[in-house]
Amino acid sequence: MLKLSRWLAPSLLAGMVAGSAILPAIAADEEIKRGGTLFYHMVSEQRVLNPALRASNGVYEITGKIVEPLIDRTYDGYVGVLATEWSGTDDGKEITFKLREGVKWHDGKPFTCDDVSFTAMNFWKELLNYSSTLQANLEAVDCPDPHTAVFRYSRPMPLNLLVAAMPDLGHPLPKHLYEGTDLLQNPYNAAPVGTGPFKFVEYVRGQYVIAERNEDYWRGEEYPYLDRIVWRFITDRSAAAAALEAGEIQESGFNGISMADIARLSEDPRFDVGTKGYENNVAHSTIEFNHRNKALADVRVRRAIHHALDIDRAIETIMRGYAKPGRGPIPSAGGDNYTDDVRTYEYDPEKAKALLDEAGYKPDANGVRLRLRHRPAPWGEYTQLWAEYFAQSMREIGIEVTLLTNDAPGFLNGVYRDHDFDTANGWHQFRADPAVSTMVWLRSGAPVGTPWSNQFGYENPELDKMIDDAASELDPAKRAERYHEIQKLAMEELPVIFAIEHPFISVTSKTLKNHHNTPRWNSSSAYDLWMDQ
Amino acid sequence: MSMLNYMLRRLVQAIPVMLIIMVGTFLLLKLAPGDTVDALVGDMGGADPRFIERLRAEYGLDQPVLMQLWIYMTKLARFDFGWSFVHEQPVMTVLMDRLGTTLLLMISSLFFAVSIGSLLGAIAARKAYSLTDNIISTLGLVFYAMPSFFLGLMMIVLFSVKLGWLPVGGIQTIPSFYEGWDYVKDVALHLIMPTASLSLIYLALYMRLMRTSVLEVADLDYVRTARAKGAGEWRLMVHHIMRNALLPVVTLLGVQFSTILGGSVVVETVFSLPGLGELAYKAVIQRDMNMLMGIIFLSSIVVIVVNFLIDLLYARLDSRIELT
Amino acid sequence: MSVLESEIGTAPPSGWSVMWTRYKRNRAAVLGLVLLVIVLAMAATAGFVEPVDPLRRAGDPLVPPFTDWATPLGTDQLGRDILAGIFHGARTSLLIGIVSTVVAISIGILVGAISGYFGGWIDDVLMRVTEAFQTIPNFVLLLALVAILGSSLQNMIIAIGIVSWTAPARLVRAEFLSLRGREFVEAARNLGVGDAAIIFREILPNALPPVIVFASVIMAISILLESALAFLGLGDPNFASWGNMIGAGKAVLRSAWYCAAIPGIAIVLTVLAFSLIGEGLNEAVNPRQKKS
Repeated sequence: MLKLSRWLAPSLLAGMVAGSAILPAIAADEEIKRGGTLFYHMVSEQRVLNPALRASNGVYEITGKIVEPLIDRTYDGYVGVLATEWSGTDDGKEITFKLREGVKWHDGKPFTCDDVSFTAMNFWKELLNYSSTLQANLEAVDCPDPHTAVFRYSRPMPLNLLVAAMPDLGHPLPKHLYEGTDLLQNPYNAAPVGTGPFKFVEYVRGQYVIAERNEDYWRGEEYPYLDRIVWRFITDRSAAAAALEAGEIQESGFNGISMADIARLSEDPRFDVGTKGYENNVAHSTIEFNHRNKALADVRVRRAIHHALDIDRAIETIMRGYAKPGRGPIPSAGGDNYTDDVRTYEYDPEKAKALLDEAGYKPDANGVRLRLRHRPAPWGEYTQLWAEYFAQSMREIGIEVTLLTNDAPGFLNGVYRDHDFDTANGWHQFRADPAVSTMVWLRSGAPVGTPWSNQFGYENPELDKMIDDAASELDPAKRAERYHEIQKLAMEELPVIFAIEHPFISVTSKTLKNHHNTPRWNSSSAYDLWMDQ
Repeated sequence: MSMLNYMLRRLVQAIPVMLIIMVGTFLLLKLAPGDTVDALVGDMGGADPRFIERLRAEYGLDQPVLMQLWIYMTKLARFDFGWSFVHEQPVMTVLMDRLGTTLLLMISSLFFAVSIGSLLGAIAARKAYSLTDNIISTLGLVFYAMPSFFLGLMMIVLFSVKLGWLPVGGIQTIPSFYEGWDYVKDVALHLIMPTASLSLIYLALYMRLMRTSVLEVADLDYVRTARAKGAGEWRLMVHHIMRNALLPVVTLLGVQFSTILGGSVVVETVFSLPGLGELAYKAVIQRDMNMLMGIIFLSSIVVIVVNFLIDLLYARLDSRIELT
Repeated sequence: MSVLESEIGTAPPSGWSVMWTRYKRNRAAVLGLVLLVIVLAMAATAGFVEPVDPLRRAGDPLVPPFTDWATPLGTDQLGRDILAGIFHGARTSLLIGIVSTVVAISIGILVGAISGYFGGWIDDVLMRVTEAFQTIPNFVLLLALVAILGSSLQNMIIAIGIVSWTAPARLVRAEFLSLRGREFVEAARNLGVGDAAIIFREILPNALPPVIVFASVIMAISILLESALAFLGLGDPNFASWGNMIGAGKAVLRSAWYCAAIPGIAIVLTVLAFSLIGEGLNEAVNPRQKKS
């Protein structure tokens, strides 16, 4: 616990001396300063520091700076990082990546196609959550030469789908460190070796992770600008806010502090507060229905419930304005796949009551029309608030809601396995492409007990077909059209209410420059981040 | 009955207690809905069914409960606490990492609470019913009544943010790599607020108990006799009263070791201290069975030993109690 | 009772008024009683203050206290009236405090008295059981119980009672161990008085004082345990409770500290009330000579 890393001090010192001798290569508007240590807040600890093993924001926030993907997303579109070019055949069964030359792993060995092939077949296809569905049809990755990787699929894979998934799900690992070992128990899973601007130094569980500047970074000697990054684990959000104000941390991402503190610090001239840099990571706050409940199986009841929710007010109160009303399973950050030409439900309690009357649910002697048991998801501060808001709103139209508290395992089992709920709410992330994210809420057929899938007892064969067709449609324009149809149907039928879309929010000290300059900045490498000390 | 006999008997009786605790807790925790994999997957924000199935098989969680219990108990007999899937490390390693922080916090809090609390309690008893007594007593009760996390948060706001005197949390300033005396000072600074938050409640307890005990004993025959004999008041206090008034205080101390670990759960969370309390909370929430069992086993041993010592001390202090 | 007191002439005053006189002497104890009456009054009149539902949206969110007479103490993040929360929360806290304590003390007295009086193997067995419960850190056990049983109010009360009975048991046992060798017990036994009568009529009344003080401790602890559970997000959200309010107020602590501070003060005063009363009772039952 109270460890001293005596060897660390001299090597860090050497690094700093070497680093300060390098002159900045770029003359920008402001004079870029080299050096400095970034203290970054982590509100939860993922413990597995391998982005090819765990797909999770908490993992990317750390490892994204150490391990790089084939492709990353910038405001100019998808750009190659470890890949330089990509193309697909007309039948969609082969996709070829040209890999960057002259890139070395942190231990000095060269990065080649073998690494990509090994990682794709052993990790992306077999072990990485979300990715195994995506790569289910991957048959092999061929290496005609050390810098060309050919992905062969048994069924057509839309190029734009694979490309969109690569920033999160496309991190190659060094084959020479993993081959022949027990992949899950390999110690490098907590001590990552990558090609990125920062090299892993130390991980003290429960406290911090340290990474220092990679002197041989392939983008050039001038990068990265920082000397070091220290990720501090602070689970208590109030303590984290205090640490920000005391200058002990400079960045807290993914809503690491409470909404109230976010609102407060947005008025503080020392901080930049906003949603810029999260366009790739939008999430939805939802209301989920258990369609096995007779009342909720009636679409009029579901529509009535939507009418009783004052979404604008909820956005003001709970999200402090940092959100937009949802228009279906695909959010506005979904690019061409998104449409808002859908049916909407304005806040109208009288209309809600009328719909309930029509469906046959009239108030009893106590004014109660319906009783529902509701499970809030236990992650995120606003899920609890959203649940309480839901209960408040429902009471006004005569629906009595009992809130059940549960922790993560209790929630997952209660909703997804035992189906022991009437309504539930959660937040669900949209991962760049609907096929790998939100469609899973609508398509029937997932085995009982699969978390984060349609366990709601909702089955619509028409919708199922539309989802399958869209997932394998190779023409991007046609694909977009198919998703528009799905969006419209989802808003008509309301199997799930995608009530609010909210991007995540960062609180960043103004001493950091070049921050949040890509749409998935917190998960990305931060090679051009510098500090004005 | 001889002391040795008594000791052996207590030792032998401790074993079934431990067994009851371990088996009982294991089965109790299995009753809780969900398991480690659910918690892990929840933390990650999602996973597909193959991944989850593989994880479950890997962790041996797809086997029947009694089988899992058997495997666990046999390992325990070899002092193998098992592997924590949440921490990806052996349980023993994690426990040893965290033990130091919590012990430090507990000992400094108890020390502070017992010493200052007893002193204040004795003063209050000496000046019983006077204004001093009322002030001290009421102040103690206010400390006792205040939730430790509330106190902790307010202290952070005042001392860390507004005044900047003390660090917000953690056990040390990273990465300053202090050595020797600097290191000790750094840790001490980080422990000031947590110790204060945790100890104030127990301080009030010891204060009240000491006051009650001193008042009770001051009234008894042999004390009155001593006073009548003309022995000085100070000698009276120290030799006769203190010795007997210590009895309930000592009893309570035995109880506190277990309770204070619970108190440290909240304090460690507020101050982000990497201790056993926070570990225990996470272990329940994440259904990290091996970790929780390890913590319970460790603290059980400590508590049993402490209680045993306290009973011995107790018997020596009050010669009228027979250890039948 | 000392020899002096029992021999004073004229008819002795009734037991209750004697106790009350002694109780009144301690001004702090009287304060405690006053506070408790206030809390009881709040619980009783909660229905008048907020007849509909303390959790409903009563106004705009985060209105400060003393600005809007419809919500005199302000509102919280979801626009709920804080005053209504305090009054209705009084009911919840009293319920939790009293019922958990009754459960814990009943079990504790039973186990402690039997164990301390009979000694021998009965003592051994009961002490092992007590030790088992006591050895597990009580908050950890509480967390595990709440994880299993769920966070409903009745289950929380049961869980709190289950983790709290060991301390009174030990205290009672200690007193019994100390008292059973005394002359008056010997005398009673010689007179042929049965064990049960000795336990409950002779020894227990003398063993009670520390238990009474401890009852107030447990009541206070119960309320604090519930608030700690709520702080960690494990309270029952369907009721107005001071613990829930502090938990909710934690998020807005820096900008609207009154959301957490007001229920925090309510908890402090209520716990204070129980403790002061306990102390007063202790002295009323066991009078002391004043040291001048």
